[in-house]
Amino acid sequence: MKPSAPVPPSTAKPTVRVVLVEDKPGVRDSWVKLINSLPGFSCVQTCASGEDALRVIPVANPDVVLMDIFLPRMSGIECTARLKLQLPKIQILILTAVEDDELVFMALEAGADGYLLKRTKPDDLKAAMLDVLGGGAPMTSEIARRVVESFRRTSKQTKDTVRLTTREEEILILLSKGYANKEIADQLSISPETVGSHLKHIYEKMHVRSRAEAVARYMTSKA
Amino acid sequence: MKSGSVRASIAPMQRRTPQSFLKFILRHGVCGCAGWLLLFSFFPAIKTVADEPSTNATASWVFTATNHLGEWIWDTNTFDKQTVRFLKTFEIPVGQRVSRATLHITVDNGYTLFIDGDEIGRGSDWRTVTEYDVTQLMHTGRHVIGVEGFNDRLEGGLIFGLHVELASQEVIDIASDNTWSTGPGDGKKWNGSKLNAATVRPAIVIGPMHTHPWEIWPYGLATVPPIHPVVLHFWQRGWFQLLLFCTAAAALLFSFWLLTQLSAQAKAQNFLKVERVRIARDIHDDLGAQLTQLLLLGEVAQREQLESSPARAQFTQICDHARELAHAMDEVVWAVNSRRDTVRDFTSHVCKYAQNFLRATNIRCRLDVEPEIPATAFDLPVRRNLFLAVKEALNNAAKHSQADELFLRIYRSGQKLSVVVEDNGRGFNPDETRAAGNGMTNMAQRMAEIDGICEVQSQPGGGCLMLFTVPLPPERRRWFRRVENDDEGGKKIEISGS
Repeated sequence: MKPSAPVPPSTAKPTVRVVLVEDKPGVRDSWVKLINSLPGFSCVQTCASGEDALRVIPVANPDVVLMDIFLPRMSGIECTARLKLQLPKIQILILTAVEDDELVFMALEAGADGYLLKRTKPDDLKAAMLDVLGGGAPMTSEIARRVVESFRRTSKQTKDTVRLTTREEEILILLSKGYANKEIADQLSISPETVGSHLKHIYEKMHVRSRAEAVARYMTSKA
Repeated sequence: MKSGSVRASIAPMQRRTPQSFLKFILRHGVCGCAGWLLLFSFFPAIKTVADEPSTNATASWVFTATNHLGEWIWDTNTFDKQTVRFLKTFEIPVGQRVSRATLHITVDNGYTLFIDGDEIGRGSDWRTVTEYDVTQLMHTGRHVIGVEGFNDRLEGGLIFGLHVELASQEVIDIASDNTWSTGPGDGKKWNGSKLNAATVRPAIVIGPMHTHPWEIWPYGLATVPPIHPVVLHFWQRGWFQLLLFCTAAAALLFSFWLLTQLSAQAKAQNFLKVERVRIARDIHDDLGAQLTQLLLLGEVAQREQLESSPARAQFTQICDHARELAHAMDEVVWAVNSRRDTVRDFTSHVCKYAQNFLRATNIRCRLDVEPEIPATAFDLPVRRNLFLAVKEALNNAAKHSQADELFLRIYRSGQKLSVVVEDNGRGFNPDETRAAGNGMTNMAQRMAEIDGICEVQSQPGGGCLMLFTVPLPPERRRWFRRVENDDEGGKKIEISGS
């Protein structure tokens, strides 16, 4: 990992280690080829199922996990939730064939760090992976709106301790109105990075909250 | 001959005073049979004291009782436990009014009396003559007297008299004689309608009033209060009840039919819904997955080509087309999928579309969406047409407006959903533009199809605002939560402990 002096810049950065979770073999192979063809990325392992992923990923300890939503038996969302419990630092990107807000929202609540359409251009895929590694957390306006709504809904029940700060809500509302991160930063006179970190916090809160809910559900179902 | 209690059982609508019967019982009970026997042995010729209610113990009742009576008549044969039916027909001339009609009857041993098929009364003590006031029943025209006589033992006989006084002072007397017919018959209505001509024979006259064995007779007179014709209201009549029954049956059948229609329709609706979900899923699962795979293969193949090779450009093109195809497919899936038939889903779809569409242009897309849009049902034609209209508006803005900012507002106002597409571009004169086409008529037509309104506000240099308003279906109150079956797997997460 320690680069020597005359190495070209592309190899100077450590390779991003990717694990792919995808059940269809043909699609899996294509993804592997695609990821490997991106400079600075390497697909170190593939899993055909969620169970597989839970076994392989803690060992492989990759930088990024690309997770298909529809997997046999254990869904990608459940797998994400379980992985996040074991490895909170791991970055998981959900791959979905269709942009279903409900599914995406559930995945994000389960702890996913972002989502990608399967037909995304390779360059966008690369950008998204670099983004999550760099601590960014992209969020669409649709998701932002849902996040605001869901936090408002639960705060009405006054049972929830996880709440959004005023600033976070401000950012989400601007986001839901279609403003880009940069525009939001301008409006609120903060740096785009701060916006990004706020978003990251929001994701974490969603995740914490959904985990609390899940635990509560689990406890009540046991009782 | 057998004596029985004095009883003139009367037509159902009459009330009878229990007086005569009580007196009879008292007399029998207190004095006892011995007293009676004594009386009979000493004064055999004396007519018995009246047990008639209005007792002024004169013998006048005997005359009243026997005045218009005919002779004793019976069937050809006489035997014990015999039932004989008698029939007599007569007519009251047309144009005459009956001022009074009195009927006296007794049968050894008992009888049931019918006039025109209706039961008038019964008697079971031959020694008592019963007087019926039948004035009310004697309208002009043909009448039938029917008597069902019953002989318990030994001799049997019927004696009868009907005295009809007309308003014209004329009198019609119908008495029992050999013009009466006897014969078997059945059915409750003893009016001769079912009389078999072959079995009918004239009644046999046994003898006058005091012939043997009825020498000392009668012993009493029972008077029945005036008998009124039974008034049948129309709702009591058969035809009406039949009609009512038929109507009710028809209504019942009709509601059953409606019910089955309704359930069939509901079934069809549900089937359609399920089918739409299935089609959407099939397109999504099969075509979508294949297309994604194709796209991936294309991307991989493209990357395996040299940077400068012409094949690489072609692969890029293939991939771009495949992406467009995937996009178009998403639209179809969205339109078809009945799970997306809600206002909320429509809203998010339109927003997403607008953002994606305007990303390729210089126009920044701003969204202004009412929070907490409910998941009210939003039918396919409405959401599809509204979406296409909005799409057209966005397209126009992108092509012609030269705006740099566009607002997409979605909000509810009452039972209506409004979508506003507002840009800050150069605007236009709506009147001229409509004439020129430009998809404006198309939009208006689309909105008209779904009872919506399309308004355009624009002026040169002042931007453009397009307002689409469509009616929303009233929110249905759900009495129970419908279980919605998820058509996609992996929607449930469960974390079974840490």
